[in-house]
Amino acid sequence: MTPARRMWHLAYALGRERMFSTRMLIMLPILLLFIPGMAWGFADPNLQLPADQLPETATETMFLASIGIVFAGTMAAVIIAHDGISRDRTSGVLEVRLSQPMPRWRQGIVLIFGHWSSIALPVTALLLASMFLVGYRSDMWIPLGDAVVYIVAAMLVLLWYTVFALLASSIAREQGSAIAFSIGLWFLFTLLWVLFTTLLAALNGVAVGDTQDQGYLIFEGRIDLLSPNGVYHHLLETRLDGVERGVSAFGAYAATILWTIVPLYFFQRRLNRLVP
Amino acid sequence: MGDKVAMQFESIGFRHKIPRPKWYNPLNKRKGAGISQANLSISEGEIIGLVGTNGAGKTTLLRMISGILPLEEGHAVRNGTPLGIESLRSMVGFMPEQVRWSSQQTIRQTMTEFSRLRGCSIQSALDVLAVVGLKSRVDASLDSLSQGMRQRLSLAVALLGTPEILVLDEPFNGMDPVAIEAFKRLLRSLADKGISIMISSHHLSELDNLIDKIALLHRGQLLAHGSTESLQSSLGFEQMTEIVVDKEIPDSLISSLNVLEHIVNEHEHRYVIESGHHDLLKALIERKFVVSTWRVVPPTLIELLCAATGLDRESIGMEVEQSSMIPLRTIGSEEE
Repeated sequence: MTPARRMWHLAYALGRERMFSTRMLIMLPILLLFIPGMAWGFADPNLQLPADQLPETATETMFLASIGIVFAGTMAAVIIAHDGISRDRTSGVLEVRLSQPMPRWRQGIVLIFGHWSSIALPVTALLLASMFLVGYRSDMWIPLGDAVVYIVAAMLVLLWYTVFALLASSIAREQGSAIAFSIGLWFLFTLLWVLFTTLLAALNGVAVGDTQDQGYLIFEGRIDLLSPNGVYHHLLETRLDGVERGVSAFGAYAATILWTIVPLYFFQRRLNRLVP
Repeated sequence: MGDKVAMQFESIGFRHKIPRPKWYNPLNKRKGAGISQANLSISEGEIIGLVGTNGAGKTTLLRMISGILPLEEGHAVRNGTPLGIESLRSMVGFMPEQVRWSSQQTIRQTMTEFSRLRGCSIQSALDVLAVVGLKSRVDASLDSLSQGMRQRLSLAVALLGTPEILVLDEPFNGMDPVAIEAFKRLLRSLADKGISIMISSHHLSELDNLIDKIALLHRGQLLAHGSTESLQSSLGFEQMTEIVVDKEIPDSLISSLNVLEHIVNEHEHRYVIESGHHDLLKALIERKFVVSTWRVVPPTLIELLCAATGLDRESIGMEVEQSSMIPLRTIGSEEE
C-alpha cells in the first residue's frame, strides 16, 4: 500500500469516527438551525430587514445566510478538533503514535484532513440543502459558479478553524487549555471582531458612528483580511455586484492563500517538534 | 542471546525544555534535566534491563531510543551507518509506561490503524494479537479492556512490523504477579526469536530471571552497562549468599567466613555470608543440618547505585529532588 493510500485510509477512519461521535450528534441540530434554517428565513418573500436591504438574487440570499457558517459551522469545527491531539496526549496514545515510522508531516495531514472532513461533509450537505431551499422558496436559483465559490469558501473557513483548534490542541498540555484556546480564538474572530475593528477605526480617525460610511466600510474591509471570517466574506463578495470594501478579488485570493498556508506551516512545524 | 550488534547509540544526549517565562518573552524556555553522553550497544536477542531511581531519566532515554525525542547529541548507528530518525522509528517498537486505551473503537480497528501508521499488513497486525493472547478479544471495545489487557494491547502495537528492538517502559506497572510471569515468558520467547529488548524498571527484583544485561542510569547518566556478573565485579561487589538452617552453625565451620548478618528465628537461623563457600554446604549436609535455603543474594538497586556513584544511601535518596545533572563517577575511569 502506498503512503498516500495509507494516509487516505487513516484520515477516512478518523473522519468517520468523528462524524458519528456524540459531539457531532449534539452539534447537528445547531447546524440544521443555523445553515438551512437561516437560508429558509432569508428566502422568505415577506422578509423585513433593516434599511430595506432585501436580497435580490439567490447569491445575495446565500450571502446573508452565510452567518450560519460563521456562527455554527466554525464553532462545530472547533468543537470537533479541539482535542485532536490533547486527548491522545492525556491517554498516552500520543506517545505510541509519535513512535511510528510514518513521517510526522504525513500524520499531520491525516489529522487535519480527518477532522476537517468530519465537519466539511455534513456542512456541504446542509449548504446544498440550503441552496435548494432558497430556490424552492424564492424561485431564485443560485448560479453554478456562485454555488461552487460559496461551498469552497465555507470549506476553507472550516479548514482554518480546524487547523487553529488542532494547533491549540498540540500546544495545550491538558484538554481544558485546548478548548479555552480554541473557543477564545473563535470568540475573538466571531463576536469581538466588530469591537476590535471599531476600536482600530476610532484610533485611526475613521468615523465609527455610521456603519454605512464608505470610509468605515473600506477600513473594516481591510481589517477583515486579518480575520478568517472576514476573508471568508471577502471571498463570497467576489460574486456579489456593487460591493466596495477596499479589497479587490485578487486581495481576497491572496489573503485566502496566506490564511491557508501560514497556519498549516505552523501546525506542521509544531508537529515535527512535538514531544509527549 | 546473539553477539551480533543490532544497534549502537553513540554519545546520545537530550535536554528537556523547561518553561521559564519572562516579561518580554512569555514563551521563554531553558534547558533542564535530560540524558547526557549515553553510549549503549544492543545485541541481537538480548534483554537489557534499564534500572534507575525515579527521575533518573529512564523514560527519556527510552523515548530517545524509540525516536520520539530527537537525538540532540550523538547518533544511532547500525552496521556502521548512522540512522535517520524515521529509520530508527521503523526498527524500534515502543511500549509506553501506561496507555489508557479507551474509546468505542475495537481492538481490530486499533490494530488496523496502527498497522497503517507502521506500514505493515492488517493480517500481520491481527496475527500479533495471537502472540499477546488477545485474539479472542479482537472485536472487544477498548473501553471494556482491563489494565492487563491494555498492557497486552500496547505490547501488540509495539510488536507491529516485526521491530528489531523492543523498548518497554515499566511494562509491569499495574500487572498482577501471574500476568507478570506470563509477560516475562513472552518476552523471553521474543528474545529467543532474535528481537532485542530494552526494559526499564526501578525494581531490580522485577527483572529477576529475565535480563541478560543491566544498564544503570542515574541523573541522566548511563553509569554502567553489562552483564549482572560483570557489573557486580566492576563495581567491586562481593557476592553474598543467604543460608537458612534449622540450628546454629558452630564457630568451627563459620569462623573463617565473613558473616554479614545472622538472624535467629523460632525454628531457624538465617545467615548472610560472602559467597563462594561451597565447602560449607557440604559440611552442613554431612553434619545433618536441614538447609532450607541456599541462594545468592543479588545486590539491590540502591546498593548498585551507591557503588556506581560513590554516593551514600542518604544522598541517593535525595536524588529525585535534584533536577540538575552533576558529573558522577564513571566505571573504570577517574572521578570527574
